[in-house]
Formats: sequence, C-alpha cells, structure tokens
Amino acid sequence: MTFYRGAIAAALALQFIAVGPAALAADAASGKNKAQTCLACHGEGGRSVNPFVPSLAGQPPLYVYYQLLQFRDERRKNPIMSPVAVGMKDADMRDMAAYFAQEKPAPVSPASNPELVKAGEKIAQVFHCASCHMPDYSGQNHIARLAGQQRDYLALQLRGFKTGSRPDIDGTMASAAQPLSDQDIDSMAGYLSSFE
Amino acid sequence: MSAISKRGSLAFLILATSASAVLAQATASPMIPPSWAQGRVEGSTSNLAPHPPGMSALPGAEIPLSKIKLPKGFEIALWAEGMPNAREMVIGPKGTVFASTRFVGNVYAVVEKDGKREVKIIAKGLNKPNGVVIKNGSLYVAELSRIIRYDDIENHLDNPPAPVVVFDKLPKDEAHGWKFMKLGPDGKLYFNIGSPGNIVMPPYTHAQIARVDPEKGILETVARGVRNSVGMDFHPVSKELWFTNNGRDWIDDSLPNDTLHRVSRKDMNFGFPFCHQGDLLDPEFGQGRSCAEFDPPAAKLGPHVAALGMRFYTGKMFPAEYGNNIFIAEHGSWNRSKKSGYNITRVTLDKNTKVKKLEVFAEGWLDGEKFWGRPADVQVMKDGSMLVSDDVAGAIYRISYKK
Repeated sequence: MTFYRGAIAAALALQFIAVGPAALAADAASGKNKAQTCLACHGEGGRSVNPFVPSLAGQPPLYVYYQLLQFRDERRKNPIMSPVAVGMKDADMRDMAAYFAQEKPAPVSPASNPELVKAGEKIAQVFHCASCHMPDYSGQNHIARLAGQQRDYLALQLRGFKTGSRPDIDGTMASAAQPLSDQDIDSMAGYLSSFE
Repeated sequence: MSAISKRGSLAFLILATSASAVLAQATASPMIPPSWAQGRVEGSTSNLAPHPPGMSALPGAEIPLSKIKLPKGFEIALWAEGMPNAREMVIGPKGTVFASTRFVGNVYAVVEKDGKREVKIIAKGLNKPNGVVIKNGSLYVAELSRIIRYDDIENHLDNPPAPVVVFDKLPKDEAHGWKFMKLGPDGKLYFNIGSPGNIVMPPYTHAQIARVDPEKGILETVARGVRNSVGMDFHPVSKELWFTNNGRDWIDDSLPNDTLHRVSRKDMNFGFPFCHQGDLLDPEFGQGRSCAEFDPPAAKLGPHVAALGMRFYTGKMFPAEYGNNIFIAEHGSWNRSKKSGYNITRVTLDKNTKVKKLEVFAEGWLDGEKFWGRPADVQVMKDGSMLVSDDVAGAIYRISYKK
C-alpha cells in the first residue's frame, strides 16, 4: 500500500488537465447573431435572471454543444428547448456554444444559508464533484460550469438526475444524485451557486 | 374492511413512510462516490476523470488520417464518416457494415452502391446499443439490459421492422453496463456483464462473460472474475473464446495492466476483484487471498490502455504471417498522468494457444497529450482489408495492404 501511495503522489505531482476531443472549428461572432433569440430566456449574454433558466455565459463550449445535440434528438427532453434545437445544424450549435463560452459569467446568486453551503461542501467532497467540474466549478470539456448558476435550476437538475427525468450521457450524474436526499440536493445547490 | 384492519394498515403506512425517511437519511450519510471514482485514494486531489464521450462526427475533411503510422506496405483511408460515436462493427452476408453506438442510441448501416458509400441510421433512441451481431439475416443488438433483433435487416435498411425482444432480464447498472456482443460457433450470443463499479465486490450476476441462447432465452455464465470485457472473438482454428479486459483504475500509472484472456475450459475465474492481471493482489479486496486461486491472463496489454474491440485476422490480403493474429483496438487511457493506448495492437500467437509477441500496428490518434480520435473496434472485410471504427471522430477507416 505504501508503494502505491508513493506512486500516486508522483502521478499527482504531474497535475495534468484532461484534454478532450480535438477542438472543433467554431465562429463566436456568427454564434452571437444566431443566439439572439436565446437571450429572451437565458438573459443578456446568457446571464440568466430567471431562477429556473440556466445561465450559459462562461459555459465550456463542448457542454452547450452536447446539450443542444441532446435536445435536438430528444434525449434530453424539454418542451421549449427541443423545438428550438430541431432546426439547428451542428455548425450553428458550435458557433452559439463558442459565443456563450466567451461571455462573462453571471454574478453570484444571492447568498445561501451558510449552513446549507457548509453541508453542500461536505457532500461535494464525498462525490469528488470538483474532479470533473473543476475546483472552481468552472467546468471543462462536456462538463457544465456550476459556479454562479441559478440555485433553483441546479436543484431541479439534481432532482432530474436522481429520478432519471434528466438523462445524463454516461450515468455518472445519475449515480452521483441517487444517494442524495432532498435536503442534500438543496445544500448542493446552495453551495454551488455561491461560487463566483 | 374492518375498522381494526384499517387502523392496522394506516399504522403500517405511517411506519413505512417514516422508515423510508430514515432510510433516506441513512443513505445520505455514508455516500458512495460515482462508479468511476470508486477506489480513489482518500484525499486525492487528482483531476483525472473520464474523457468526454464522442457525441458528434468530425467532418471527413478534418480527420487527420495522415498522422496514422502503419508498417511498410499498409495504407489507411477514410471509409465512412458522419457516424457520431460509431463503436462495434459487424458485417452482413450482403456486405452491409453495421456499427453500434454507446452514447447516442443509434445503429448505423453502411452500404456500398455504384462505388459510393452511404450511411443510414437504422435505429434511434436505443439505450446504449453497443453490441451488434448478425445471425440468419437478423441483426441482434445488445442494449444496456436487453437484446433485441431486427429480422431480414439487409433487405429492409430503409424501412427496418419493429425489433423483436430476444432477452430482457439483464442487469440495469449503468457502470460497465454497455455490451460487446459476438456470435459463438454454437449459435449463442456472447457478451460481457461488467462490474457495477471501478472496484467493488460484484454480485454473482456481474463481472463475467455470459451467453444467451437466442432461441431458448437461456442465460449462462461463460467465465467469471472479469472486470469488464469490451472485445471478444473466437479463434478461427481452436474455436476457443479470447477476450480483452479493462483493469481497475486508481492504483497508479503503471498498474494494473489491461489483459487478454483465453477461455480454454469451463468455470474459469480470472480474479476480479481479488487479483488483477494474474499476479497483483488488490490492495483492498486481495487481503487474505492469493493470485494462485485464479486463472492468469494470456497477456498483459499495458496499464489503462482501454483494450476494446478485438478480432482474429482471417483475411488473405495482409502478409501470410498475419494469419490468425489478434488485432486489438486500444481506446486510450484517462486514468493515467501520461496518456497511453490510442492504437491498434497486433498479437502473434504460438500454436494458437500462447501469446508470442505484442506490437503496435497502427498509431497516431494521440498527438502529444491530445487525442483527435479513439479506436473502438476492428473488423476484417471479405477482401482481407481491415476496418477500424473511431467513436470520437465518428468515422470508419479501412486499412489495406499492397506488396
């Protein structure tokens, strides 16, 4: 076991960030034009002011692209988003994703109950949320930015992952959300939305 | 209903409700991390995590095939594109190439007409339809927890029939729940039922190679102690089953190896979760056990390389020494600080039973520490050329040989 620990420490010293599939060409300027209708709900620059609509500003481009692909195929079901996505070409999705990625993230939601934040922090440690979502919860590759996201939206998505009404790509989020109680979910949403 | 029994059932209801509340509380405290993170050393700050799945296709013109290196005389060319997440391949009697997907729920068919190839989506919205087999003109598809069948498929590619359910009693675990499926010489469907987590004590129904008789619907265990196999084939001469297996994560960069196995008799057990790669006791589950209790692998393939699809080379196009060699698609590592795999590996056997030599046959999907594609399966064509599926580029390539 000591041997393994040493080897793992050595591996950790290299501290390296996973790199996804080769970046696909995208045009953020053209994405801005294409995204104008999105802003009615998602807010100026993708900074949402509606508690149940997610902010898209600062999201990793692969995340927005993959979600749009899933809305279009109705693998992620939503009565508003699927009809919007059905007319989009892959290139449009990549362009809009590139536009939202370069926008300044939304300001932090109103402060949560500090006890919830503390409880949420503990849960996040157990589930290694930061491994994929990154220590500052800014997301990476196809993994969502959670920092500064709408608290009610986060709670709704966690409940969706738990019950299966929001299918995730590889089952990782379902396996993470299933053991969470209702209170755990509120704590997580409070904790994550408190990040800048 | 009497008043007493009514009261009784009410009391029961209250009890049951409070019991489930207690249960929810109880499950909330000793929480289990997601399957990929199980077995991580406590306090680890590693930011290694599985790579993004391939969900879209690279346009053919953007696929950098010139980066692929092959032995002298071999060539690789783009054969079909626009197939997001293309994984396992199988070829029908009329030459249609079927390709499965793990994440996007599609099954593709590639047909050649007047020298041109056309990709059709013959099934959509399936649940992890990663396994495909052709038998008597029917396409069998292994989803997460069931096997379905599309009859007379090659005559109905534009209007496929509704699928017939062949077997629907397989476990529903997402972790290692997708299946590689292969038709056995006995007419049965062979596939993996993986461990429901990185390193856990699996129930007796999991961590095995299983088979189903598609006519009788009987499920049998073929081999145990298999963490997760996502590639298997039958030796063309001995008819023995060989398969690849993916080793556990989070020990370190160099251990354990992914492995290649030969099933030479009934009731073999390859060691998971107690012993890995035939000679490495698990730091947790190996306590008080010995690797001598288990059957060793035929070869160690390298740590974390993600050995997926494997096939014996049965064609005539490649040089004679390639006959009955094994080709393995190595999808490439994520749980390693320096990436490895991302190639097609060639395995030469001695007397059809022992591994004599391992060598990289095709590489170049990895460019420094970035990958642009990941090989998922190989398949030998009638003309002896070899197809390679790539589930990140969403394409199929063809490797051919000219003297």
